[in-house]
Amino acid sequence: MNHIMKSKRYALLLAAALTAMTVLAGCGGGKSAGNVAAGDSGAGNTGSSGEQVTISHYTIDSEDRTFIEKLIPDFEKEHPNIKVKVEKAPYEQFDSKLQTLIAGGNSPDVTSHYGYGGFAEYYNKGMLLDLTDLIKEDGFKAEDYHIPENLMKIYTVNGHTYGIPVNMYVTLMLYNKDMFDAAGVSYPPSDYEDKSWTFDRMVEDARKMTLVSDDIAKTQYGVDFTWAERDMRPLYFGAEPYSEDTWTNGGVPSETHFDSPEVIAAYQKLFDLVFKDKVSPTSEWSKSVAGQNGDPFVAGKIGMSIGGSWNLAGANDFPFKVGVAAVPWGGNDKVRSTLYVDPLLILKDSKHPKEAFEWIKYLVTTEVQEKSIELSGGNPPVNTEAAEVYYKHFDGIDPGDVKKVYEGAVKYGYESYNHLITHYSQINDMFINELQPVETGHKSLEEVMPVIQKKVMEIIKR
Amino acid sequence: MSTVKATRPLESPSRLRRRIKPVKIASFVTLIITTFLMLLPLFFMVSTSLKSKREMLKFPPTFLPESWAWSNYTDIFETLQFGTLYKNSLIIAGFSVFGTLLSSALVAYGFARYRGRGNNFWFILLLSTMMLPYPAIMIPQFVLFSKMQWIDTFLPLIVPAFFGSAYNIFLLRQFFSTLPEELFDAGRMDGCGELRMWRTIALPLSAPALATVAIFAFIYSWNDLLTPVLYLSSSDKFTLPVGMASLTSSRFRIPPWHLLMVASVLAMVPIVTLFAIAQKQFVEGIVLTGIK
Repeated sequence: MNHIMKSKRYALLLAAALTAMTVLAGCGGGKSAGNVAAGDSGAGNTGSSGEQVTISHYTIDSEDRTFIEKLIPDFEKEHPNIKVKVEKAPYEQFDSKLQTLIAGGNSPDVTSHYGYGGFAEYYNKGMLLDLTDLIKEDGFKAEDYHIPENLMKIYTVNGHTYGIPVNMYVTLMLYNKDMFDAAGVSYPPSDYEDKSWTFDRMVEDARKMTLVSDDIAKTQYGVDFTWAERDMRPLYFGAEPYSEDTWTNGGVPSETHFDSPEVIAAYQKLFDLVFKDKVSPTSEWSKSVAGQNGDPFVAGKIGMSIGGSWNLAGANDFPFKVGVAAVPWGGNDKVRSTLYVDPLLILKDSKHPKEAFEWIKYLVTTEVQEKSIELSGGNPPVNTEAAEVYYKHFDGIDPGDVKKVYEGAVKYGYESYNHLITHYSQINDMFINELQPVETGHKSLEEVMPVIQKKVMEIIKR
Repeated sequence: MSTVKATRPLESPSRLRRRIKPVKIASFVTLIITTFLMLLPLFFMVSTSLKSKREMLKFPPTFLPESWAWSNYTDIFETLQFGTLYKNSLIIAGFSVFGTLLSSALVAYGFARYRGRGNNFWFILLLSTMMLPYPAIMIPQFVLFSKMQWIDTFLPLIVPAFFGSAYNIFLLRQFFSTLPEELFDAGRMDGCGELRMWRTIALPLSAPALATVAIFAFIYSWNDLLTPVLYLSSSDKFTLPVGMASLTSSRFRIPPWHLLMVASVLAMVPIVTLFAIAQKQFVEGIVLTGIK
C-alpha cells in the first residue's frame, strides 16, 4: 500500500520533470522563431532597394478578419521593401490588448475599431494619426478606389481625415420565406422607394405569422425589430436624442434628449411590438430559444428580422429559404438604415506610417476588395465596383434584391452612433443595463428614460 | 453468552436492513439525480460535438445527434491548427506546473521551518499580493517583458511560475508546518543539509499537497486566456483558449458551436487524466490542509 503510494508520488514528480525536459527543446525553437519574426534580419534586405520595414496590422482573430493574411504574399511581391505582420486577438480581448500594446510601446501600425470602442473613442484618446498630409503627399483620391465621398466624410473631423473606409455594413431586413408562404403573406419589397412599405404594414404582416402556443417548439413571432444600437433606435421614428453639434466636434454632444416626449414615444412604439401588439418575442424568450446561436431568426422562429447585413453572411447555412427586404418606413424621411462603415486607421505611434498607408491603399483597390469578399466569406466592400461581386455572393438570394437593399440603405442610411460618439462602450453598456427592466416588462419607459438621460450626460462629461 | 451469540446474528442484520434501507435508497436516489444533473451539461457538450452544423441550429435541440458527425473530430484539426495549439498549451502548462512546484515548495519550506526577524511581515506581504487583480499589474508587466524582448515567446507565460505564487506558497506552508520537527532534528543529527532535508524529507511526505498544487497550477495555466492573448502574436504560438475564443470571435457569423464543443471535449482530456492520476493525493491534500 505504502509502496504504491510512494511510487505514485514519484510518478507525478517524474511526469513533471519529463514534461519539462521534453518541452525544453520546443521552447528554444519558439524563441528563435520569435526573433526572426520581430527582427529586420539580414535575409530581408537582399534584392530590395529601399530600407526593409515591417508593419503590423492588428485585427480580430476570426476568419472574416484574418483572411488578410492571404493577401500579404501578393502585396509583398509588389512592395519588396515592406513586410506585413498580422497580430490578432479574440473579439472580447481586442480593446485590452490594443491598449496594452500601445502602453507597452509596441503599437501596431494599422488597425480598425473592431472591438467595443468606436472611432470617436480612439480619436478622443489621441490614438489616431492624422492622415491628411499623407493623403495629400500621396495624391490619394477616394474616387480612384470607387469609395463614395460621403463615406470618406464619416472619418473626417474638422477637415482632417483619420480613416479610410474598407467595409460597409448596412441595416436591412431578412425574412423567412417559408414562414411567409405558410401564412400566405406576400413578400416585403426590397425597393426603398416603395412607399406602401411602412412600419404599420410590417406589424400587420407580422400579426399574421405570429403564433403563441404553450408548446415552445410551436411558438413563432412575426418580427424581431432590433434596429441598430439601443440609443439609436428613436432616430428611426424621426426623434433625435443627440444634439446637432455631436457630429461636428468629435462626438461630444453638448445636450442629449433621452427624456423628451418624442424619444419616449419612439421607444414606446418598439416596446409595443412586444407587450401590446405581441408580434415580437420578449428578450427572455429570444434568449431561451436562440440558445447558443444568439438569434431566434436563425432557428426559424421569426418571420422578419431587422439587423446588420452581416447576418447575410450566415444565410447560406440557414435551414430555411431566406430573402432580403428594405427596412420599412417608420416616420423619418431621411433615415431608415444604419451604416456600419469600418475604416482602416493608422495609429499615432506607428513607426512606418507611409508604408502602412501603402498597405491600406492596397486593401481598398477593386481587385483586392473583390477577392476579399470570397476570402472573408462575405464582407461587404466599400468599393462600389467590387460591390457588384458582393451582391451575387449569397446562394438563393436574388442579387437584384441585395443590390436594391444596399443602395437604398446607403441613400437612407446614417452612420452608426457607436462609431461617432465618445465613450461609446460605456454609453452602450449603460443602455443595455438600464433598459433591461423595460425589456422584461418590469418598469415603464417614463421611469427609466430620465435616469438614462442623466447617466448619458455623466458619461459624456467624463 | 451462547444465547446472546445466537440471537445477535439473527436479529441485527434484519434490524439493520430495516433501519438503513430507506435512508440508503433516498441517498442513492439523490445521488443519481445530482449525478444526472451534473452530467447533463457534459452530455450536451459531447452530443453537440457530434452534430452537424445544420442540426446545431435546431430548436428545440435534439438530445442525441440525428446523424453522428464524427468528422467534426478531424475537422477541428483543419479549422484551428488544433494540434499546434494543443502542443503549445501542454508545453506552457507543463513548465508552469514544474516552476510552480519548485519555487512554491522551496519558499513555503522556508516560511514553515525558519523563524527570523520580520518573518510574519514578509508572509503577510506575500499574502497581500493575492489581493492584486491581474489587470492592475498587466501593463507594467507587459512593459517589463517587452523591454526584455520576450514578446511573442512563451517566456512571459512560463517564467513567472518560477517565482512562486502566494496561494500555493500558503497552501504548502500550512502543510509543511504540520510535519513533526523531530524528523528534521533526526536528519540534522545525521548530517543532512537543509536542501537535502527539503528534498528527501519534506517533499516526499507532502505528496498530497504537491499534487494539489500541481493540479491547481495546471488548470490555471491550461485555462488562462488573457496572458497568452497579450503576449503571443503569431498564430503558431497561440494556446488552446486563444484558438477556442477565436471560434466565437466573429461579430458577423454564427459561431461553429459544434466544433467548439469538439475542442472543449478534447481540452478536458488532460485535466481529467491528471485528476485521475492524482485523485487520491488530491482529495487527501484538500482534507489535510483544511481547504475546501
